[in-house]
Amino acid sequence: MSGELTMRTTAELQYGPRGQEAGEGPFTPAQLARLDEALTLSSRETGLMFSVYVGEFVATARAHAEALFEKLDDSSVLLAVSPGQRILHIVTGPESAKRLPNRACALAALAMRASFTNGDLVGGLTTGLRMLADSAGSH
Amino acid sequence: MTVVQTVLVFVGIPAGIIALLFLAVYGRSLVGQPNRYRPGRPWTFAPSWYVPHPEAVVRPGGGAGSTTAVGGASGEW
Repeated sequence: MSGELTMRTTAELQYGPRGQEAGEGPFTPAQLARLDEALTLSSRETGLMFSVYVGEFVATARAHAEALFEKLDDSSVLLAVSPGQRILHIVTGPESAKRLPNRACALAALAMRASFTNGDLVGGLTTGLRMLADSAGSH
Repeated sequence: MTVVQTVLVFVGIPAGIIALLFLAVYGRSLVGQPNRYRPGRPWTFAPSWYVPHPEAVVRPGGGAGSTTAVGGASGEW
C-alpha cells in the first residue's frame, strides 16, 4: 500500500480531493468539498503549498512523514494524519519553516488533536489548515 | 368501537408518531455516515494525499521537486 504510494510523483497529486472517488474513500463528497476549500484558500492566501496526507505510517511515523514531504517543494507544508495509529505530523520545509515556526505548528497540532479525539477528522484538518494559514500570514 | 379499533387508535397512532419522530431525529445518521471515523477503530482505507488546485498555488521553483524536512510538530490522540 505505502509502496505504491511512494511510486507516485507530485505531478500525479496535483488535482486535489477527488470527488468521484468519494464512494470508496474515507470522506463524503461534502467533507471533501470542505477539505478542498480549506486547502485551496490557505494555499492561495499564504503562497505556501499545503497538502494533507491521510493514511497509515509505516516504520517510524516521523520518518515516513518526512519521506513523503521530500517529494514536495521547499515552500510546502504537509499535514500527515494516521487515524488508525492516532498520530499526526506537521512537516515544514526550508522556505515554509521561515513563515511557520515550530511553535505555530505545535499550536495547530494541539487544535487538530482536540477535533480528532472527538472523531471529527475533516473538522480537525480544516482547523489546522486555517490556523497554519493564519500564523503564516498573507503572501 | 371494537377492541381492534381501540387498539389501533390508542396504540397504533402513538406508535406511528413515535416512529416518525425517531426517523426524523436519527434517520440520517443511520444511513448517511457509513464511513465515519471513530477513535480507536481500525482505519481500513487506502492512503490518500490531498493537494490544492494547481492554479491556487504560485510556485517560484516551478513545482515538483525534492526538498528536505526542516521543522514541524507532531501529536497523538
